[in-house]
Amino acid sequence: MAFIKLNDLEIEVEDGTNIVEAARQHGIEVPHYCYHPGLSRPANCRMCLIDLYLRSSEMPERQLATGCTTTVRSAPPERKIDGKYDVIVRTDSPRVIKAREDILEFLLVHHPLDCPVCDQAGECDLQDFSYRHGHDKSRYVEVKNVPPKKDLGPDVLLYTTRCIVCTRCIRFCDEVSGTGELGLINRGSHDEIDIPRNHAGTPIQLLDNKLAGNVVDICPVGALISKDFLFKSRPWFLKKENSICSGCSVGCNVTVEYKEDGLYRIKPRFHEDINQHWMCDDGRLGYHYVNNDDRLQLPQKRVEDELVTTQWADALSLITEKISEVESNDIVVIGSAQATNEDNFVLQQFAHDVLKTTQLGLFGQQLGEEHKFPQFTIEADKNPNTAGARTILGSANGNVVLEGETLWEKVAGAKVVYLVSGVPERALDEAEKEALSKVDFLIVQDILPSAVTEMADVILPGTTFAEKDGTFTNSTGWVQRIRKTIDPPGEAQSDWLITQQIANQLGGEFEYSFAGEIALAIAESVEGYGDATHQKIGDAGIKLA
Amino acid sequence: MVQEKRILYEHLNVPNINTYDVYRQYDGYTRFEKALAEYQPDDIAQMVKDSGLKGRGGAGFSTGAKWSFVPKDIEPRYLCCNADESEPGTFSNRYVLEKNPHLLIEGILICCYAMGIETTYVYIRGEFTLGKKMLDAAIKEAYEQGYLGENIRDTGLNVNIYTHPGAGAYICGEETGLIESLEGKRGQPRNKPPFPAVEGVFMKPTVVQNVETLCNLPFIVGNGVEWYTEMGPTYADTRSDPPTPDPNTGTKLYCISGDVNEPGVYELELGLTCTELIEVAGGLRGEEVKAVIPGGSSAPILTHYELDTRLDFTSLTLAKSMLGSGGIIVMNETRNIVDCLLNIMKFYAHESCGQCTPCRWGTPWVRDIVQRIVDGEGRKTTITRPKFGVTESGRWGDTGETEEIYEDLDLLEDVANNIANVDTMTWNTICVFGIAVSWPAVSYMRKFRPEFEAAIREGKLVTLPVAEATVPPEENYAYQQRFIPKEFSELE
Repeated sequence: MAFIKLNDLEIEVEDGTNIVEAARQHGIEVPHYCYHPGLSRPANCRMCLIDLYLRSSEMPERQLATGCTTTVRSAPPERKIDGKYDVIVRTDSPRVIKAREDILEFLLVHHPLDCPVCDQAGECDLQDFSYRHGHDKSRYVEVKNVPPKKDLGPDVLLYTTRCIVCTRCIRFCDEVSGTGELGLINRGSHDEIDIPRNHAGTPIQLLDNKLAGNVVDICPVGALISKDFLFKSRPWFLKKENSICSGCSVGCNVTVEYKEDGLYRIKPRFHEDINQHWMCDDGRLGYHYVNNDDRLQLPQKRVEDELVTTQWADALSLITEKISEVESNDIVVIGSAQATNEDNFVLQQFAHDVLKTTQLGLFGQQLGEEHKFPQFTIEADKNPNTAGARTILGSANGNVVLEGETLWEKVAGAKVVYLVSGVPERALDEAEKEALSKVDFLIVQDILPSAVTEMADVILPGTTFAEKDGTFTNSTGWVQRIRKTIDPPGEAQSDWLITQQIANQLGGEFEYSFAGEIALAIAESVEGYGDATHQKIGDAGIKLA
Repeated sequence: MVQEKRILYEHLNVPNINTYDVYRQYDGYTRFEKALAEYQPDDIAQMVKDSGLKGRGGAGFSTGAKWSFVPKDIEPRYLCCNADESEPGTFSNRYVLEKNPHLLIEGILICCYAMGIETTYVYIRGEFTLGKKMLDAAIKEAYEQGYLGENIRDTGLNVNIYTHPGAGAYICGEETGLIESLEGKRGQPRNKPPFPAVEGVFMKPTVVQNVETLCNLPFIVGNGVEWYTEMGPTYADTRSDPPTPDPNTGTKLYCISGDVNEPGVYELELGLTCTELIEVAGGLRGEEVKAVIPGGSSAPILTHYELDTRLDFTSLTLAKSMLGSGGIIVMNETRNIVDCLLNIMKFYAHESCGQCTPCRWGTPWVRDIVQRIVDGEGRKTTITRPKFGVTESGRWGDTGETEEIYEDLDLLEDVANNIANVDTMTWNTICVFGIAVSWPAVSYMRKFRPEFEAAIREGKLVTLPVAEATVPPEENYAYQQRFIPKEFSELE
């Protein structure tokens, strides 16, 4: 640990921490643009200049130092300043304040100041720091550079005029994704970010790697803009909720940004052990199904080979009737790797305690492709909760969960199948189709019309990750919380609530009233989940032993 | 009359000195052989330290001190020869490359022997196609003669030299920019520390030396330290107690251009004054000296009041200027300083690498301000201050004194100082390009302010007579700050 004096604070920080981070930990802002904790440090924006006292507490070093590249370390006793400090730093001395003003004036020299039409306004570092540290007017009266706007790839636009050439995006493509599509062209004040082009100006390579969306997040100004979010909303109108990405089993920490009419965008949230600062574009842009107009809103039942909407009471009594008619051996209950641990736990209790069946299966999205990057991996398993669903469904059953071929064999021989899906856009292969077609009475709980719902006898409208509370367990054993953002469409209900109603109609005595209560029950009965209550998980998640 | 003292350039005009056979006749490679036979590597490093040789590239940093920073336990170490001579007004290295490339190779060999270096990169300015051709041919000859390659002269010494042409960027003459360019990246300077001596080419310890510095080594080894230190003054550095010697030893290749009768490269002992130098170069062309740029375009300008300044590293530093690369540009009374500044600022705005904020957007801004003044659109405001006194009507009241504010000159000074402050010598930029921009901008403006004011007032360029154009010493803070260094020997 190094003992440093930061302005008038005396603080202890870990060896190797830089001044920007050390100050941030203690609530002092050191403005910066090019520095990003997940990337290398070129110190080219010159915004984080600080006064450094290395030899005495009287006289600072002649040159200002950049806070991002100045790391603190505990010094040997003879080199301590005033006998106790390893280093003295001032971020509020007059010349630091003047240097910031000067740099900001330079940064705004060619900036178009088009905040009223810029997507970044409201969450723009240039805007914020200009207000807090800059001049109130510009002395620049010459002609501004107006380089052209560029289309860099499927989801990224470059408003070149707004760019401050911090090179965060270039370093991201070099270091994290390892794809290196971006670079600087021209020199001096004509520096521009660009993709490789031939002499005619036609792109040779587009910014279309699976992590490309992150460059928009790390852009400190409104230069790199997501086409998906372009002109959709002002950021300050969006409500934010911490959640987990449901795109694959990595379980990236995300912030879901939404209004009452749906989700607007998903941004990554820092988690040291899982996703660092990043997320992939599949997850980032994969939320659109939540806002889909075709979402299932009412229960449906099959009348003379056609699905017609019905009332919840009607659908539930129909299900009760059908289930009561058959033996417990003829019932297969299938949980979902897209559903939360809580959903699957209630389902497991229902199957075990009420139906007395041991035929519990697991359903989920088909296996996709794995993508490996130097500092990031997108997993092949496209379900957020395969590990959790497997453990919870099998917890009262000797850990036997039917999957793959064995599952579909059992399904083919069953009379009633209760399938909780919740998978967006799930295609069925021939074997699966055949097995499902042999079922006498197929109950499907789903969110969107799909190949599965087409074969159902009763469809119950469930909810997506954005509409419910719960926990997911990722492939590396982290249990993390998702949170409800918007209300489910129409009369759709949480999956565990639907299961609980069916169970109670069949004589069960389920009295769960919210997801946190189920998590307590999981903590009591499922091995390894002893600490996995919502309170303890919080925003950081917990890792299973 | 001062005479030229030719050492590096002694045999420059011998026909075919670029070939091994002729070079050998003129003591070629004997100094290297002497080094191998008589001295241990550490002896040579000590000799270079004792000789007081200062780097000739621009910063004037002691070569011996630089070598001592190189960690000896990290392999491999590299030597990087900076032949990217691109400072406007400087043209001495190209003659060595084009006419006497074996001298450079000999210098490189001595440096490699002293530092235990096996690989040398010579980064040659892209425009020096002839120089590169000559050097490549000389390197080939040296390989054939067994002065390069494996096991040189059966001593177990291995040295390989690779030449690398630049692609036309001024900033690649900055040592870390050069290294980045050499590694195949964009030529943008690195943050320091770490310095190249610790982490240079391919993140290994690297000695970066100018062509002229390396060419001095054979003569230091061949003729001894005492012979070398007799040339040039040694000043007393009075900042320490007792004063330490501050050597400015050896000769310097002064590239004299501008309004002199015989412009060219002159090899002279360090420590001559401006007046003497103009005399050596055939005298002034024109009536009187208006200004002298002492060390390439980035050096602060000297006025006719400062012609007694001695042109060596210490004296010019104390005169708030620098010797730099020794590119001396003389201007006579017909030159307009505003126009000169525009010329230089155009160059810097074009050559800024664009890596860090102040330089990227500050340099074109400074250029635009000067351009506006040259175009006759400089801004000035007349303001009226209340001043109490006896008015025309004979009563006590406000006499309405007016004052002219030259906004653009204040802006010019402020913007330039924001890139790099010339008064405090601090810069917010990554490399010293920032100070290379603001030095000329601020010094021209302060020392020749009447000419700038005239251009704004008249709406066009006005070339004033020398006496009128220059700010007199008693009004100029910069002159008052000048120090005349004392010789070390006098002190004793």
